[in-house]
Amino acid sequence: MKKILLVCSIALTAISTTFGQAKKPTIMVVPSDNWCIKNGYFMEFDNQGTKIKIPDYKKALQEDSDVLLVISAINNMMTERGFPLKNLESVLKTLESNAAEDNVMTSKDSGSDIEETPMDKLKKVAKADIIMQLTWTVNTTGPKKSVTFILQGLDAYTDKQIAGAQGTGAPSFTAETPVLLQEAVTAHIDNFNASLQTHFEDMFENGREVIVKIQKWSDSEFDLESEVNGDELSYVIEDWMAANTVKNRFSVLDVTENMMTFEQVRMPLHNAQGRALDTRGFARELSKYLADLGVPNKVVVKGLGRATIILGGK
Amino acid sequence: MKTIMKQISLFSTLMMFFVLTSTAQINKQKKANKDTENWRYEIECVGIGKPGTKVIKVWSYSKKATIAINQAKKNAVHGIIFQGYAGGAQGCTNQKPLTNDPALEQQKADFFEEFFKDNGKYMKFVSTSGDGTPTTMKVGKEYKIGVVVTVMVDLLRKDLEDAGIVKGLSSGF
Repeated sequence: MKKILLVCSIALTAISTTFGQAKKPTIMVVPSDNWCIKNGYFMEFDNQGTKIKIPDYKKALQEDSDVLLVISAINNMMTERGFPLKNLESVLKTLESNAAEDNVMTSKDSGSDIEETPMDKLKKVAKADIIMQLTWTVNTTGPKKSVTFILQGLDAYTDKQIAGAQGTGAPSFTAETPVLLQEAVTAHIDNFNASLQTHFEDMFENGREVIVKIQKWSDSEFDLESEVNGDELSYVIEDWMAANTVKNRFSVLDVTENMMTFEQVRMPLHNAQGRALDTRGFARELSKYLADLGVPNKVVVKGLGRATIILGGK
Repeated sequence: MKTIMKQISLFSTLMMFFVLTSTAQINKQKKANKDTENWRYEIECVGIGKPGTKVIKVWSYSKKATIAINQAKKNAVHGIIFQGYAGGAQGCTNQKPLTNDPALEQQKADFFEEFFKDNGKYMKFVSTSGDGTPTTMKVGKEYKIGVVVTVMVDLLRKDLEDAGIVKGLSSGF
């Protein structure tokens, strides 16, 4: 009897631990485009006559010790707060080694290589759910030096700034730039974390903010003006959103016959079974609902926060 | 007999003096604790400390300077948890309090009563900084005493998180 009780209590604890927690967003510290371009760490492309500058993170990490120091200091402080971050340099290295492995990998039976669509290739970039974008400038007035430091927490999917801290440190005659930078991180990280915490608390209360897009294949027999279940498909989808978002919170950004964009969609963190939900799971519910109405569709996701449902087939 | 009477009266006077003095001391300490609860103190940042710490100057009030000096540590920890402070010179940035729940002190009254009792656990997270020389000002019948202290904010936050008083950054995930 004792054993049964013990097994039951362990099982209950395991269930509550597994189902009670929301999906944890990943965070990564990245130097801003502004900093990279100002310091010469960028690549330049000609895009149909327009020069485009793209930050070269690998070069920045290999050649600038200050950026390593700041990233390391932030990573360290976030780990101490119980929220370890993804390390940009490691992510870049993993991407490179994965690409190399994929290139040489072949099937033992048929000799075929790894199947990869252009979309798969596009998705192979360093990414995280929240980007901690950092920028700093060293100000000099005569012999005095100070550091202006900007740390922005950007939600990679909603493009919103969800946390931030910025300011200029005390001018110093003697301190070296790395010391001033270390001081700036120490001065600003608590405020950054306080606003991040507010964002998480809002998320737990009002749901995770995501973006859901509806599109259609060019050969689809359905568009968003098609009559489904006695109403236009766009209204059918909108009604589903209203019924399945936290406090019915979402806004429709655009609607045409071919596409529809829902922004500020507050999806619940758990589904009806108590399982942690991400945008894929949320979009899957809508996908199943549409399939039940006879509208075939495909779900494409981007991390924890963005999903697209394409009408007309897989 | 006279000598014995004299000795008894001297002893009684001494006892009376001792009791009155200690009662006055206790009352002043109680008043200082009441001031802490009523936010009657001021905090200002005096510099960026080591990572995980904050160096602040706490201004406390009391008719007795020593009580205000002793109360500074309690006020510092109280302020870091519930009040925060504005930025200022020396590269100081504003500091938000460890909790943004205004009712937390009342909701967890038992915990904070124990935590902030005289020589309580709050002492673990604060120490006087520099040479510890207080700045003294006479304001009416009271002293306004400023003491520079270092608060181990990271340790304090961790302790409060472990006790379930404030939420950690990763709680819920």
